Amino acid sequence: MTALLELKNLKTHFKRKKVTIPAVDGVDLKIHKGETVALVGESGSGKSITSLSIMRLIPSPPGEIVDGEILFNGQDLARLSDNDMCKIRGNDISMIFQEPMTSLNPVLTIGEQIIEVLMYHQKLSKRAASLKAIEMLETVGFSRAKELIDDYPHRLSGGMRQRVMIAIAMSCNPKLLIADEPTTALDVTIQAQILDLMKELSKKYDTSILLITHDLGVVSEVADRVVVMYCGQVVEEASVDDLFEEPLHPYTIGLMGSIPSLEGDLDRLYSIEGTVPPPEHFPAGCRFSPRCPHAFDRCRNEAPVLREIGSRSVRCFLHDDKEATK
Amino acid sequence: MNGTTSELLKHSKKNNDSEYILEVKDLKKYFPIKAGFLQRTVGSIKAVDGLTFKVKKGETIGLVGESGCGKSTAGRTLIRLYEPTSGDIIFKGKNISKMNDGELRRTVRKDIQMVFQDPYASLNPRKTLKSILSEPMITHNLYSHKERKEKIQDLLDKVGFNPLFINRYPHEFSGGQRQRIGIARALALNPDMIIADEPVSALDVSIQAQIINLMEDLQDELDLTYVFISHDLSVVRHISDRVGVMYLGKIMEFAGKKDLYEEPLHPYTQALMSAVPVPKKKGVQVRERIILKGDLPSPANPPQGCVFHTRCPVATQMCSEQVPDFKEIRKEHFVACHLY
Repeated sequence: MTALLELKNLKTHFKRKKVTIPAVDGVDLKIHKGETVALVGESGSGKSITSLSIMRLIPSPPGEIVDGEILFNGQDLARLSDNDMCKIRGNDISMIFQEPMTSLNPVLTIGEQIIEVLMYHQKLSKRAASLKAIEMLETVGFSRAKELIDDYPHRLSGGMRQRVMIAIAMSCNPKLLIADEPTTALDVTIQAQILDLMKELSKKYDTSILLITHDLGVVSEVADRVVVMYCGQVVEEASVDDLFEEPLHPYTIGLMGSIPSLEGDLDRLYSIEGTVPPPEHFPAGCRFSPRCPHAFDRCRNEAPVLREIGSRSVRCFLHDDKEATK
Repeated sequence: MNGTTSELLKHSKKNNDSEYILEVKDLKKYFPIKAGFLQRTVGSIKAVDGLTFKVKKGETIGLVGESGCGKSTAGRTLIRLYEPTSGDIIFKGKNISKMNDGELRRTVRKDIQMVFQDPYASLNPRKTLKSILSEPMITHNLYSHKERKEKIQDLLDKVGFNPLFINRYPHEFSGGQRQRIGIARALALNPDMIIADEPVSALDVSIQAQIINLMEDLQDELDLTYVFISHDLSVVRHISDRVGVMYLGKIMEFAGKKDLYEEPLHPYTQALMSAVPVPKKKGVQVRERIILKGDLPSPANPPQGCVFHTRCPVATQMCSEQVPDFKEIRKEHFVACHLY
């Protein structure tokens, strides 16, 4: 099975004065058709920059994709001209953002914002586009879609705005939907509605989803595969069942232990010492070593590579021997 | 006769009981809506609409709810950052709801402190760590200069800070460190009670765990009472002893955390619990999810009857007409619902 999207050694660096900040530093990632992949990490791990790199939305300068390939259907997006990229953006790959308040244009009606996309990419007439817009709004669960297309975004609640964003994103039937923290700004009951909707739509249109989140609960609800990032690198990649059953990387283990449980009682939460280092001060060797409870000398001197162990992979010296036995 | 005496005895015992550090009775906070050229009051937002609960000394009360349910307003009204519209707040036997500012400052201000959500916005960027921590002591005229210095060292030690950082400014610290400063500042006056309004919501999970552990350690060490306000049900379960679930300015259910989380009685609590995505675990069955239709109604115009009936999956005719009482269904388990 060939991947719909494949990142190979993607590096996105930012240059500030004379300092280079390696926000994304060698990310490999595959997304197959119809699959939902979750990209997990704390703030500063480079997960949002990865997604913006795929969309080629990195402000340049200061940012630049310095190395690597972004293969989408065999085409390298990193080397596409801006004009060609415009045809893909919003059409084959679309994106929804965390903040539904700021990602809609406040002076255009909901209808205008959906119609614009359809007229540009699908070359529909205004009339056909507006019919399609109503249909899309109905698909995302609005009962009074006809009136809604003449409403302005400020009249909608956060959850409704996120639905509108999903309607816009799905209107051209994209092959890949990138959702950057789509439910972080929403309440839990609304979050449940939106996650359900995303699952339903991805099944209906066979759309792949790249879900960026820091919430492991959300991950286990919707994702098929999980990629854990730390300091601009992938530290672990596994299917959702494998990952939650047996996390391998000490960072993943720490992350899971840090979440209080809704079901059982714990005396004390596990906490990872220290904080995520800023990108200009990434430690030598393994980037997690200063915070890792199992770190030994080799970790501080030598950088581990992402190794495959069966169907999953992990970037840690602790699992070196496991690979040998396989 | 026998029954009444024992009843009376029980009652008087309850009254004399000093185990409750805070008692809130029918607390209301309405914000006026002003409109027109003359800015006449045309209505009110019922942010907090009749809260009643008691807090025991040394325990942690959790207040949970979605945005707009009035949990933050409740916290701020408890500490009199907002003037309550009506109701009583009895703290250590004194009714503080109607005290004037001077009296408040002399008697209870230093005993109740607050920790805010946004560690970036709640510290003055132009003050050093030292002056941030000494300011509350100066305001309350406590300690000599030398004692203050010692006290600051002690505070930094308590929240796990390097004492060398004392002359640094807030921007030099990370989010988690700033929240530690916020906690140290709250502790500067040796309070009895801390109201923490979403203290960990702005932090990453690994940092969140550090702060929660710190708050628990401090509680044991200093015998603190917490009112912990959060939208995160799992965090609240972890830290609280008893939990109140709020919806549109009212408490829907209030119970010990075990009762509440293992057997939620109110339909809203049930829906809220089922909506939380939980990391998969071996052998744990996937729970049935109750998806609530629609959004939170506006607190300016709350629904008649039970405020939840517009989204409630089991609402009846009665729910849209009568406001349910907040009753004790089981021991220490209060619910406001017509089902019970």
